[in-house]
Amino acid sequence: MNVTLTVNGTEHTLDVPDNTLLVDVLRGQLGLTGTHVGCDTSQCGACVVHLNGDAVKSCTVLAGQADGAAVTTIEGIGSPDDLHPMQAAFRDNHALQCGFCTPGMIMSAIDLVQKSEGLDEQAVREGLEGNLCRCTGYHNIVKAVLAAQQNMAQGGN
Amino acid sequence: MASQNGIGAAVKRKEDARFITGMGRYTDDLGAHGQTYAMFARSPHARAKIVNIDTAAAAATDGVVAVFTGADLKADGIGDLPCGWLVKSKDGSDMIQPPHPPIAVDAVNYVGEPFALVIGETLAAAKNGAEALSVDFEELPAVVDLASAARTAQIHETVPNNQCYDWELGDKAATDAAFEKAHHVTRMDIVNNRLIPNAIEPRAALGEYDAAAGSHTLHTTSQNPHLERLVLAAFVNVAPEAKLRVISPDVGGGFGSKIFVYAEETAVIWAAGKTRRPVKWTAERSESFLADAHGRDHVTHAELALAEDGEFLGLRVQTIANMGAYLSTFASSVPTYLYGTLMAGQYKTPAIYVEVQSLFTNTAPVDAYRGAGRPEATFVVERLVETAAREIGMDATDLRRRNFIQPTDFPYETPVALTYDTGDYEASLDKALAHVHYAAFAQRRDASEAAGKKRGIGFSCYIEACGLAPSQVAISLGAGVGLFEVGEVRVDVTGSVTVVTGSHSHGQSHETTFAQIISEKLGVPFENVTVLHGDTGRSDYALGTYGSRSLAVGGSAIVKATDKIIAKGKKIAAYMLDANADDVEFEDGSFNVTDSNQSLTFAEVAFAAYVPAKYPLDELEPGLSEKAFYDPPNFTYPAGAHVCEVEVDPETGVVEVVQFVAVDDFGNIVNPMVVEGQVHGGLAQGIGQALLEHGVYDDTGQLLSGSYMDYTMPRADDLPSFTVDTTTTPCTHNPLGVKGCGEAGAIGSTAAVINAVTDALGVASIAMPATPETVWRTARGE
Amino acid sequence: MEQAGEYRIPAVRKEVWRALNDPAVLARCLDGCRSMTPVGPDEFEADIGAKVGPVKATFAAAISLRDVVPLHSYRLQVRVKGGAAGFANGTAAVQLKEVDGGTATMLNYRIEGAIGGKLAQIGSRLVEGAARKMTARFFERFAADFASA
Ligand code: FES
Ligand code: FES
Repeated sequence: MNVTLTVNGTEHTLDVPDNTLLVDVLRGQLGLTGTHVGCDTSQCGACVVHLNGDAVKSCTVLAGQADGAAVTTIEGIGSPDDLHPMQAAFRDNHALQCGFCTPGMIMSAIDLVQKSEGLDEQAVREGLEGNLCRCTGYHNIVKAVLAAQQNMAQGGN
Repeated sequence: MASQNGIGAAVKRKEDARFITGMGRYTDDLGAHGQTYAMFARSPHARAKIVNIDTAAAAATDGVVAVFTGADLKADGIGDLPCGWLVKSKDGSDMIQPPHPPIAVDAVNYVGEPFALVIGETLAAAKNGAEALSVDFEELPAVVDLASAARTAQIHETVPNNQCYDWELGDKAATDAAFEKAHHVTRMDIVNNRLIPNAIEPRAALGEYDAAAGSHTLHTTSQNPHLERLVLAAFVNVAPEAKLRVISPDVGGGFGSKIFVYAEETAVIWAAGKTRRPVKWTAERSESFLADAHGRDHVTHAELALAEDGEFLGLRVQTIANMGAYLSTFASSVPTYLYGTLMAGQYKTPAIYVEVQSLFTNTAPVDAYRGAGRPEATFVVERLVETAAREIGMDATDLRRRNFIQPTDFPYETPVALTYDTGDYEASLDKALAHVHYAAFAQRRDASEAAGKKRGIGFSCYIEACGLAPSQVAISLGAGVGLFEVGEVRVDVTGSVTVVTGSHSHGQSHETTFAQIISEKLGVPFENVTVLHGDTGRSDYALGTYGSRSLAVGGSAIVKATDKIIAKGKKIAAYMLDANADDVEFEDGSFNVTDSNQSLTFAEVAFAAYVPAKYPLDELEPGLSEKAFYDPPNFTYPAGAHVCEVEVDPETGVVEVVQFVAVDDFGNIVNPMVVEGQVHGGLAQGIGQALLEHGVYDDTGQLLSGSYMDYTMPRADDLPSFTVDTTTTPCTHNPLGVKGCGEAGAIGSTAAVINAVTDALGVASIAMPATPETVWRTARGE
Repeated sequence: MEQAGEYRIPAVRKEVWRALNDPAVLARCLDGCRSMTPVGPDEFEADIGAKVGPVKATFAAAISLRDVVPLHSYRLQVRVKGGAAGFANGTAAVQLKEVDGGTATMLNYRIEGAIGGKLAQIGSRLVEGAARKMTARFFERFAADFASA
């Protein structure tokens, strides 16, 4: 089937088998390997991207379901010279070690902060419940998200 | 100039720029032209004979490139996967190592053991091919229960009673005598639950064969690519060492599980040579659960003998350790030399005797997982000590203080073969108690009580031996490899520096901390230092990363190499400045002639080394690049005090960790931000073991906790924020005075949590993980 | 997985026994059974379409009758090879007893099952639930078949 996706602002029309997952299109066909796969039961969140502005697990979305949609991946939110406040907060708070969960974690965290106000520690912990990290014990991730919340409120993204 | 980014500074990480922007390069992100995909067919049975494998339909499947069985590998001369540590039994006999073909040949011995691989043009084709395999298994009764495994069916023909070895350490007679004079004996039965490591990046491999060069290249998720290459070349016979390059690119966490040489990368690199096509495999999470080496899994009986005043007189430990179905790469060393040797803990217990029987079962192989043996040892010692305090009615911290090895006692030789170089255990405990406001605990307990909750506090004063290891000690105890590390410091023509290390970072931040060392030692700006790692084509033979050894051993090698750079630089500078080399000092990035104002910058000397206009070429080689191997004279001994405070809801059995304080002595610290992060991660794993995680097989050997639906990983809302602090007694025998921090969190924390939960419930013990159901039942006395 | 049940069937034991050995009856009562082919004495091969949780699939099952004591009891063994997904085995021990002076028959069954491989690893709860339901439906229909006949 043909699927048209606008990924990080660029439109792509791709011919894919019906059962293709969005994550496989992103990683395999578009070479956007920042989105990771950490499980096969939709439970780790390493694959989180934004679909029309909402955080989704891209391992659980068929490419066909995303037809016509705008997809934003970790590659689309900032660059080393122009980081998204959430990316900067992850770096500044040492919220990553191996980095494998990080893209999904950042995409989930951006969605969480954008959709809620005045998150406290507990709310951040609950909000990130769908993303696994085996390295950080979440301590610094929570710190980073709280810090980014401040910066995003002060006119970041 | 160094101080800002030098040793001791909380420098932000170099590696983050790529990871936070999605530019990390993990094995599964790589591809090769003409690449094929491998799918492993795995046993659905825990124990069965392979009667017949019919590959015809699989081979005829659309898009299938090749189908290989264990017999094909064997016929091609592919050897068994070896275990790298030979442990001897009490009677002096060698441990029994059953044959471990990478792909099963005649029999399968755990659910998930691969018995064939199918290579396809696409992953879907490979999967279809695997589906079309027709296999006749003759099922046999599985051995699953560890405690009775020595008395049931025999799994391997060569292994009577399923016993790998029956090992001992310590003085039995002296220990028995100590128990004779005991005023009180505390006895416990302790189960250390099986864990499944679960690095978030699943294992993966991409094998390539270059026919022109006759060489193989394997990209894989390994913590130690040189060891991988050595095993694949010398034991498995995939290719000669010089014709095999192993590269570990970015690796998404290891925690021990990526030390080992596994069936999958072995088969992938072999198949690449066979098919003359690149072959790629990435584990699905369900495969990780089945086929990554698991951790822990001990059944122990332990006894502590005390005098009337609480003095420890003797410790006796009997452990049965689960090896799983085969010996994984370092499996045999984990419950012996990384476990029995730690039984002194932080205490002056004069007599200790440890017996360990390692048994095979029809479960996944068990090997090192974060802490490897030391968490199990700490759990035994610290549960015993806490329980003894309760039994004799003494405050648990006072009992510990009564028995601590004192700062004046170092070097301290334990009765279990180690010599601790330094430490101050009371300092860590004092600091931890201050953080946790121990004095006010009783009030907090009353407040919880009033609210219908039960509050408890638990301690764990752990020690670990890490920075593995003095090669000769390890080899004399059975290790098949040395345990030094290599570091190379290449000064570039313009004065920037490239470091090549044999350590591997899969989250540990070497690109940052090793650059800090260079910046401090050579005065080179931090930005101008690049650290390369994880490639047998780049560095000399090295041993890689595990056992909290990267900084203590790999970092020390780098320091040694910088010392050589400085020594050579002094000679160059002396010649250029017409001075005596003895009169040249190196400070803050410049070479100065003492008692003069003559000096050269580091960059000027580097340039002269490569453009040797005024240069003593008759005495000195050009260039400024030095390499050093460092072999540590002793282990390092990080130690600390962990305190956990929990509140239990007796109605629901839910345990909330309300405070967790870790005060650790890691010696000197290069980057405190990184160290804290390592501790946080370790704590999460230790708390996870205590409250959430459990690898469970049913009695037919089916893995019940085989996905994130059933294996409870700690999530953000399961954990508190931690209070992490340090004390410092620098390591006495390495140039940085560092001890290593990667495992401490996982080593110390589990006992603290269970001590707190049992305190809250007022019970002697509780099974791990202390899930709400277990807590609820235990609280009701079930 | 274990499960047991009992049905009172308004037919003489001989009739019930005959039905229990009739592939056509077995096929009719087995939910989703597309075909039931005898391949030897007391051996059948069946294609069964089953819905397990969100997944619909067709499985090839080997069905055999074991420990046959005519008119009295047998064990109905079902083995499903799910390929890469693993396996599912089930055995139903069926016993018949004459009641009401021989005018009716009590059918009593007890099943035991085991699943392995990926089915057990990821799907145990779903598969067990589905298998329980299928078994219960089988005997329910078998009994109903007589009631309506
Ligand atoms: S890959 Fe784990 S949730 Fe998508
Ligand atoms: S940083 Fe490694 S899994 Fe989160």
